[in-house]
Amino acid sequence: MQEWRTMTPDPILWNDWHPVAARCTLDPGRAHHTVLLHVPLVVTIDAAGTIIARRNDGAPLQQCERYGLVWVCLGTPVQPVLAIPEADEPDRPPVVVGAIGVRAAGPRVIENFLDLGHLGYVHAGYLGDDPQTRVLPYDVAPLPDAGVHGGLIATRCRMYQPKASPAATEGFLVDYFYKVERPLATCLYKDNPVHRDRFDVIYLFVQPVTEVTSIAHPLLLCLPDGTTPAALRAFQQIIFMQDKPILENQRPARLPLYDGAELPIGADRSSVAYRRWLAAIGLRWGVITATEAAGAPR
Amino acid sequence: MSANDGGTFDAGARPDFWPDFWPGFSPGDWYAIAADHDVIPGHIYRTTLGGHDLAVWRTRDGTVQIWRDRCPHRGVRLSLGEVAGDELRCQYHAWRFARGGACTYIPAQPAMKVPGTIHAEVWPAAEAGGLIWSGIDPQGAPPALPAGTVVRALPVARPAAVVAEALAETDWPGLALVVQPADAQSAIVRGVATDGDCLAADRLLRALRRRIEQNGPEQNGGERGA
Repeated sequence: MQEWRTMTPDPILWNDWHPVAARCTLDPGRAHHTVLLHVPLVVTIDAAGTIIARRNDGAPLQQCERYGLVWVCLGTPVQPVLAIPEADEPDRPPVVVGAIGVRAAGPRVIENFLDLGHLGYVHAGYLGDDPQTRVLPYDVAPLPDAGVHGGLIATRCRMYQPKASPAATEGFLVDYFYKVERPLATCLYKDNPVHRDRFDVIYLFVQPVTEVTSIAHPLLLCLPDGTTPAALRAFQQIIFMQDKPILENQRPARLPLYDGAELPIGADRSSVAYRRWLAAIGLRWGVITATEAAGAPR
Repeated sequence: MSANDGGTFDAGARPDFWPDFWPGFSPGDWYAIAADHDVIPGHIYRTTLGGHDLAVWRTRDGTVQIWRDRCPHRGVRLSLGEVAGDELRCQYHAWRFARGGACTYIPAQPAMKVPGTIHAEVWPAAEAGGLIWSGIDPQGAPPALPAGTVVRALPVARPAAVVAEALAETDWPGLALVVQPADAQSAIVRGVATDGDCLAADRLLRALRRRIEQNGPEQNGGERGA
């Protein structure tokens, strides 16, 4: 049994859309080479701004552009790129954070995004702080109006945050909710320090490269609070760089979906629900299923 | 896929699961996995034995702890963590584990009495001859090496069985050597120089490594009689 396997493509991910590049980082003078689900791709932009994504082997693919990102589907899309209603609100244009390579399985990256218990340590001084590390009870439920595979929503999440966003001048108890809309697409809604009646929205899309390597594409839909896009990007890059060493040191690299592999507590409700949901929809990529674990030597 | 067919990353190919034994690695044997002086106070030493990642550290009184290098909660390497007094604290959620492996504190649920089932996986540990020893279920005492100075550990990119065979072909006056099977493809030679001449030992071992590694990996002891 190996960390990654040359296997039949996972049908769920093969027939879904994944970001492979951001328009703002493409350069007419230089092709962008990347890999999606083991398939090498090249993305080019010409002087007129036309973007073309191609497989290196010339096989066809589907391509579109949303939210400043170039999306590719290698198979037959079963649904469109996920809809983000907030992206249509004129005062919060999407800000692409950048493509961040991480040597971790896509599902591990998503699970980390949903995790409340690490905020006070991994993101100490920003998204949490010792000793206010208690994870208050929150709820997790199936996501209504989700895509073809369903999804999850975690509500009533609260965390004391010293610096919840670049505009925060003091710590406050931040209200959150999270959605998992696709196996490798998640988002959170959190209080904005200036607009207390609306939420900043942060998406995380994970481009699956191999089963144990990924490229994270965070996308920000933040309310105008005086923060420049560059400052928003820098803040999120700091946050992600704090997570990266954790993600790259989780073993096994693939997310175990079988009972007893890892020991969750009540604060891990989101993570438990995410793993169960992945098992229920039959995701095979970047995970260790119960069937596979049962056949392993130990 | 290979590392460079247009991809950004080397995929890496470490298995998730290892068999408990293979040529050069038996569950009943002790293996030297570190030198005493590798595991200094406050440091977590990381090594691999039989494909199993281990985290090695000391409590305040100097007792060696050898644990599986993996937090039972969410799988993060414990060697990424911190030694805090007599406890090791995981870097992800700051769960604390005491001597013997029991989890003592979970900051996300500070009021909760931690269930006894939450435990780091503890490996057998012994100190002898300036080396730290472990194994799956080692019987008896670790091999008694003659008194001497611990030589620099030498990793060799060949299976333990191949390395042990090569060691056995030569006399090593003044040296007592043992092999740590790291994973199926690599081993670490450890031991002591009875005359204290570590420089000479290092020269000899590096020459041995060159010789072993010049032979192709197809002479893989791991494939024999498995």
